[in-house]
Amino acid sequence: MAFELSLFGGALVEKQAVNEVMKCNDLTMKFGLVLTEVQALALVETRSFALKENGRIEFGGGVIDKIINKFCDSPYLSMHNYEETLHELLETFYYYKNETLDLMSDDDLIHYMKNAFDGICQGSLELLAGRELYKLARNLRYGYAPDYSDDTIELDEDEEDEYGGC
Amino acid sequence: MGDVEKISRIKGETLSSEHYFQSLLEQAYMAKMLSDIQLEKIQFDCLSLLAKQTERYNSGDSSSIRVEEAQNLLASIMFTIGVWLKAYPNPDEAVAAVQKDGIYALYQNGRERIDQLLKSTKMLHSSIIGNLVQTKNVFYRSTIVDGIKGFFKRYYPEFAAQEIHITADYPVHHQMESLLGIEFIQKYLECINYENLFCAQFSAEDVHHLLCGYDEHYEQLLFNIYEPVLSAAIGCILSGGDVHRLEMAPSSIKILDDLFRGKTRTEIVEILIETVGQLITLLELTEPLKRYISDSLPKIAELIENAVRLQTLDRVFILPKYPENNTKLIFSFGEKMDDEKYRKILEEIMQCRYLADKKALIKSEIHSLADLEDILLDAELNEEETLSILSELNPAEIAALVKKYPMPSALDRYGLRESQIALCECLQKFLAALPVEQQDLMKQAVVMLDSIEE
Repeated sequence: MAFELSLFGGALVEKQAVNEVMKCNDLTMKFGLVLTEVQALALVETRSFALKENGRIEFGGGVIDKIINKFCDSPYLSMHNYEETLHELLETFYYYKNETLDLMSDDDLIHYMKNAFDGICQGSLELLAGRELYKLARNLRYGYAPDYSDDTIELDEDEEDEYGGC
Repeated sequence: MGDVEKISRIKGETLSSEHYFQSLLEQAYMAKMLSDIQLEKIQFDCLSLLAKQTERYNSGDSSSIRVEEAQNLLASIMFTIGVWLKAYPNPDEAVAAVQKDGIYALYQNGRERIDQLLKSTKMLHSSIIGNLVQTKNVFYRSTIVDGIKGFFKRYYPEFAAQEIHITADYPVHHQMESLLGIEFIQKYLECINYENLFCAQFSAEDVHHLLCGYDEHYEQLLFNIYEPVLSAAIGCILSGGDVHRLEMAPSSIKILDDLFRGKTRTEIVEILIETVGQLITLLELTEPLKRYISDSLPKIAELIENAVRLQTLDRVFILPKYPENNTKLIFSFGEKMDDEKYRKILEEIMQCRYLADKKALIKSEIHSLADLEDILLDAELNEEETLSILSELNPAEIAALVKKYPMPSALDRYGLRESQIALCECLQKFLAALPVEQQDLMKQAVVMLDSIEE
């Protein structure tokens, strides 16, 4: 008797997810960001694809609405790149859920992504995924603090050489 | 008429004890006791329960989970429900409960049942620890005490009720049913308990001597202790030995061989059943232990049947062995001479041109085997010279040297000096050149040499 976990990815669940995404438009509208129903459906499909690609399964509404609500006030988002950025963010999110060994909660990971995206990455998704989140995942795996940086060590070593090295 | 059982549409033997719930649904569906819609609803309820468990598992921090973890959680839910459904008198009633009570209620009942099982199994474990067979076998103790304690420490019925966590290395005599989680540990400990109760009928010393007969180094062997003890007890009754001391005369094997030769498996089982009847009366065993022993007989009958055919009945009916009575030879290498003096003699030997001169010097100056050993290692003698010197020694001295310098394995060679390896090889060559009888005597002497004082 096979109990297929995919039963949860049925049409009913997808429709519910699309509705939840559409509801986010109420908040994002004031930032000039709106998604059509077709775009919302595409996002839900991307979510399913990303989950499958990363060997994960999701119950309930998922994180699309959380990502939208967090990122909608970003100065680097406009109607031109809104949908495309959301697709990328979704895929990056699930990839780094695995890479961080589930050590961070959804909210904390989204918060970290938003800070890095608006701050040091200046709206670059490549820098976000390839550098900042990569560093975060490595730090968590090695048991360092999430914002730990190798640069600090190099600096410490230089200082040691300068003052106390023999 | 009171014993008439209700005919069940699902046969118990078609159900898996490991994946009871899944196999029950499958059989119920095949027997048309569940419709497509009902089955789909059950599946959906299970997955809803999984969603709820996932949320608890993630402590509400994460909405997604890895597929493997979700599968484990689902397996835990299925197992928990299965534990409860097994409590129903027959599978049909279990299916009716699935339809009537709903998955959530079944799961809750299953959790309570697992908690009860956990409590009772912990109590059983404590009582087993208090009455362990006093044996030096390392696997027995490490599995039953440390292994099971490790299971209780790691077992988490909320999210991984189906996990066993440990390998339970020490084997029980009965073929273990395919079970999971706490059900497996409970069954395993029940078997251990019965086996301990039986072995406790004999003194630890007698069991130790019997197991020495099985193998002198049984401490390091992974085998079931109960089997040789039960076989020996049966053998004692059949051959007129002392059951209480598990002691059979060497001639008993012949008697047993005559008894079992030419018998079929069924005939052997019949003989064993009759013998166990006498054993039970002699040892005053409890009813559940009697049942356990009776269930052990087919396996022992199979062993006897094979052993008679292969003429290895002495490996089934073990004769006790008393290693403490073995003759022991204690050989002293003697005291070493002063270092200064040794250096002078060594130099002198190394400067000799002829072997005869070297031997003469050794004979006149070396008075202990410890010094001779040093000379053999340090004097840079060639093979011919070493063999010639060895030929001057008496058998006891050769045996002592062989004991100290056995043929090293390829791995051991890395830790030895070149001269030590050369001496080992010379000793082996020397032994090989002896007549076969002398070689055997030498081997026996090497085994008997227990401690060599230096």
